[in-house]
Amino acid sequence: MTVEEKGVMRPSRTLDCIGLYCPEPVFRTREEISSVAVGEVLEILADDPASESDIRSWAKHAGHELVSTERVDGGFRFLVRRLA
Amino acid sequence: MMERDEMTKKILYVQTSGPDTPERLYAPFVLASTARAMGIDATVYFLAKGILGAVKGVPETIKMGSFPSLKVVMDQAAKAGVQMMVCTQSAQLWGKKAQPDEFEDGTKIVGAATLNDLALEYDAVLTF
Repeated sequence: MTVEEKGVMRPSRTLDCIGLYCPEPVFRTREEISSVAVGEVLEILADDPASESDIRSWAKHAGHELVSTERVDGGFRFLVRRLA
Repeated sequence: MMERDEMTKKILYVQTSGPDTPERLYAPFVLASTARAMGIDATVYFLAKGILGAVKGVPETIKMGSFPSLKVVMDQAAKAGVQMMVCTQSAQLWGKKAQPDEFEDGTKIVGAATLNDLALEYDAVLTF
């Protein structure tokens, strides 16, 4: 269950895409989003520099909300809320 | 990334030609710079062999006829506000690091989802 307390979003699941390159992070995110309930948030960790732009594009067309993109050690942390 | 007006027209130039055909490398940048002068948003996407022309240090080595080097033309395009994107899978296809420091300054590493998105969003797509 996604919990939001004091402005900190806690995802209900985490998908580790470290070491994976395009288009794998998008493929795996597409599969994994169905494992969280509508309204809940999936966390994706990726270090492919293309993922910054690709996850945003995927979310836009797949109909989900990219809540945040954060730069972390050598990569990115995405939070995506399932909308449908 | 610069602010984009929803009403502004956009053209995507897909560069698939590499340094082995230098005569094919100038047109996307000349057209994209001209598009910017016309108030049109322009993006050059380096795909497949096209990424080899964006590898750091390569554009300086490409020169055709009375044209300046490709580096000069690329820098003019960047200065005009042309966005440049490099396909991460294509970089790997050619054994390059899919990292920004492998490619010319101002290029952004992106992937397949981004190209599909741009093709749908832009008003025209030209492939070289």
